[in-house]
Amino acid sequence: MSEVRLRDRIPTLAAILVALFLFLPILIVVPMSFSTAVSFQFPPPGYSMGYYRAYFSDPTWLAPTANSFIVATATMVLTMLLSVPAAFAYVRKRFVGRTAVNLLIMLPLIVPPVVSALAFYGYLGRAGLTGTLPGMVMAHVSLAIPVSFLVLCATLKGFDRNLERAAMISGAGPVRTFFLVTMPTLRSGMVTASMFAFLASFNEAVVAIFISGRDAGTLPRKMFESIQLDADPVIAVVSTLLIGGVLLGVVVSSMPRRRSQSRTAAVSLRGPGP
Amino acid sequence: MTQSVANGTASLERGANPTIKQKQQAFPLVLLAPCVVFLLVMFVAPLIYVIVLSVTEPRISAENYERIFASPVYLRVLWNTFQTALTVTLVSLTLGYPLAYVIARRSDWLGTCLLAIVVISFWTGFVVRTYAWLIILGNRGPVSNIFHWLGWEPPQLLFTSFSSTVGMVHILLPFMVLALLSVMKKIDALHLRAANSLGAPPFTAFRTVFLPLSLAGVVNGSILVFTFALGFYITPILLGSPRDLMISQLINQQIEEVLNWGFASALSIVLLSATLVTIIVGNKLFGLDRLWG
Repeated sequence: MSEVRLRDRIPTLAAILVALFLFLPILIVVPMSFSTAVSFQFPPPGYSMGYYRAYFSDPTWLAPTANSFIVATATMVLTMLLSVPAAFAYVRKRFVGRTAVNLLIMLPLIVPPVVSALAFYGYLGRAGLTGTLPGMVMAHVSLAIPVSFLVLCATLKGFDRNLERAAMISGAGPVRTFFLVTMPTLRSGMVTASMFAFLASFNEAVVAIFISGRDAGTLPRKMFESIQLDADPVIAVVSTLLIGGVLLGVVVSSMPRRRSQSRTAAVSLRGPGP
Repeated sequence: MTQSVANGTASLERGANPTIKQKQQAFPLVLLAPCVVFLLVMFVAPLIYVIVLSVTEPRISAENYERIFASPVYLRVLWNTFQTALTVTLVSLTLGYPLAYVIARRSDWLGTCLLAIVVISFWTGFVVRTYAWLIILGNRGPVSNIFHWLGWEPPQLLFTSFSSTVGMVHILLPFMVLALLSVMKKIDALHLRAANSLGAPPFTAFRTVFLPLSLAGVVNGSILVFTFALGFYITPILLGSPRDLMISQLINQQIEEVLNWGFASALSIVLLSATLVTIIVGNKLFGLDRLWG
């Protein structure tokens, strides 16, 4: 009997080990950020807040942080403006060339990042847009569109159009129906799509490394350079702050909501599927 | 032209008022146009620019492509890229399957915790996670320390194919787990209960019922991870070996060090083609209509 039990537990044990393989390496940056060592040394020889002070007073780290937030926010807004109407048309209408449109929108997700990066580098360089914030935003918007489009389409497919019909029958015009019925129902899907677009830009490194230059450099680019050039331990501080942000986001998004629409989130804590 | 044809069929179908039909036909166009135009100008045009560069730099010819496929050095890079991507895919599948299985089958606190870990690592940036491996495998890191503690001389871990493979598995594993999970979540637990009640032992039930039903996820996840690994940039550059180059490292080298745009473009097109072929073949072989989502 106990032998059978042990065999039943093998998958669970394996799963826990794999999860530890995913989680522990990420956590190692936390003690590193409080270290006193001048390079990548683990375990740290001593602990201090020195590198946190360094991060918050060093413009070569703060400027890329600001750039990252600016680019990601602008990317999020522009991506939503472009992908929300497109997703509505795609899900609700039948039209000629629907498959081609889907392929075009998914293309940035299929093309390897290094290829897109090289393409942007050459193309935006010709237009004098490399090393500028607008150039970064435009490149990131094209990469973020498929991500938010996927989330929006999943949300829209699960939307019960009878709600809209009911509103129309009750005398609401199309505009009022859209803002009073459609939008509020789709709100959580919209929030998820915006979040995905923001993070697609905020985490993006390859295109940033190729095109952002010194003036529009984002945080992932600065970290990448710092690892390559000077192994600045401030990277551990930035990494810890970023992981803290992700942790907070995951905890908040998994908290039970009163008006639960959370199955729209393809990668929310409840996971994909129905 | 196409629009009028579409109008014709639409009004044939329902025989409705043509002006309303026309409006409805124009409606998706107006909504789609900004997005489509933006992607054509900001994504397709840059890609076409790369294709053009690959056959016009330094002069109009196919010499860049000939160079890739004629030189054993570059063929080795292609082979190495393919081999690494395959290894990463197989290891991710082996590690990811039990994790996804347990998350899909358990709805208790453990399942939630495991899923939270997958989601957290999914959202943690590639650079952060690559940096973590730089510490772990570094010559003053914990792995080295364990070797010293055992009285052995630690082997060279960083800047090898090993370190870059480990880093890539760590980064791509969450993609594999989420792809598997999206299929496994839909498998009805009743199927397994039925198998059990018909006398199948747990493993037989798994092998004959659950495994075949989860194959779509296996294929999806593998294609996803394989194509990501083919063109992976950050991890091979930071952790990989300078001798056993992957194609992304070579592209980087051609741009950063020799400024050879033509050759870098040709390499990019080869990489893009390999990615597209993987997806198309995967589609054809396994009859998947949707890969993404």
